[in-house]
Amino acid sequence: MPDTIELLEAIGKDASLRHASADELAAALGEAQASEALITAAATGDKEQLAVELGHRQCDPPQVSQGPGHEEEPDQEDGDDTPQRSPAPDRDPSSTKR
Amino acid sequence: MTLGSHLTPLARSHIEQADVVFAALSNGVVEMWLERMHPDVRSLQPYYKPGKSRMKTYREWVQVMMTEVRAGKRVCGVFYGHPGIFAWSPHKVIEVARAEGFEAHMEPGISAEDCLYADLGIDPGRFGCQHFEASQLLFYERRIDPAGYLVLWQVALTGDWSLGRLETGPAYRQVLVELLNRDYPLDHELIIYRGATLPIEKPCVRRIALRDLPHVPLTAEETVVLPPATPLKPNSVIRDRLNALDKLYGTSTLA
Ligand SMILES: C[S@@+](CC[C@H](N)C(=O)[O-])C[C@H]1O[C@@H](n2cnc3c(N)ncnc32)[C@H](O)[C@@H]1O
Repeated sequence: MPDTIELLEAIGKDASLRHASADELAAALGEAQASEALITAAATGDKEQLAVELGHRQCDPPQVSQGPGHEEEPDQEDGDDTPQRSPAPDRDPSSTKR
Repeated sequence: MTLGSHLTPLARSHIEQADVVFAALSNGVVEMWLERMHPDVRSLQPYYKPGKSRMKTYREWVQVMMTEVRAGKRVCGVFYGHPGIFAWSPHKVIEVARAEGFEAHMEPGISAEDCLYADLGIDPGRFGCQHFEASQLLFYERRIDPAGYLVLWQVALTGDWSLGRLETGPAYRQVLVELLNRDYPLDHELIIYRGATLPIEKPCVRRIALRDLPHVPLTAEETVVLPPATPLKPNSVIRDRLNALDKLYGTSTLA
């Protein structure tokens, strides 16, 4: 059976597969002898089996969030609440050490 | 953003040539894909803890990456989408590394923002486009321009001052709705958008009225877009000034 991650990469790279209908994609994956789990996910959008096949590797919701809505207020920690500066090579490094 | 589709050749080359790769991705399958590209991929995911301020986590990310940089390693941090868009640590770690005399730079990636313009058919240049982290819009006095597009990020976490929660509830989003209602009618149609992460997915686009925002299910991966609510208003004072200049200098040549 071909490797599922490699198949996903191949679909992501292929102009005709990436925007194929669910049925076309499922048919192409069937021909490529993809796992049942991948074919089901492509055909129906149900990724439950795929999660099982791939060992339930999940990234929890906070992983999605990589930016804060606020940093510290001036009276907290280092008060770096000004708009973000561009990375400045000449910035005092002591202000970034914790 | 989409596995297999949106990793630039240059970004891939950085990953392959690094000694160590740190990963902050939104999807476990994408993390598995990344592991095919390098034997030493270290997930930044375990630094998150419920109740722990994300700001603390982001600082720790900077520290773990810098530890390897200081050890003389060639380090590549892989962040989903564009590493510099609504992401604190990538900018910070570059700043710290440069301040310590190391060479560091950011490679652009394809953001949720880019996918959004393509999938929703929006050109930010048509009416202008403001982007805000949803909580920041509540915490600070900001000026919204309802004649342009308004894009709100991290709406699922709206109003979380602690930065430690996985999501906030309808009551918090109600505050956001009331704030937005100063500039938009409650029946204004907004778009809840989620771009495809796996190439077997389609983008998810939901259109609801502003008043319903607190009551619909919302995931951390979704972005909210408010299309313009008012037409562009001609600025007659400035137009008059420009007309006067045209008369003075003519319109066929540059002054
Ligand atoms: C901290 S930002 C990181 C954005 C990332 N650096 C990028 O360039 O796409 C997290 C926010 O990005 C948006 N986002 C993340 N994944 C998304 C997706 N698949 N579709 C739409 N928006 C997404 C959501 O607004 C989410 O709350």
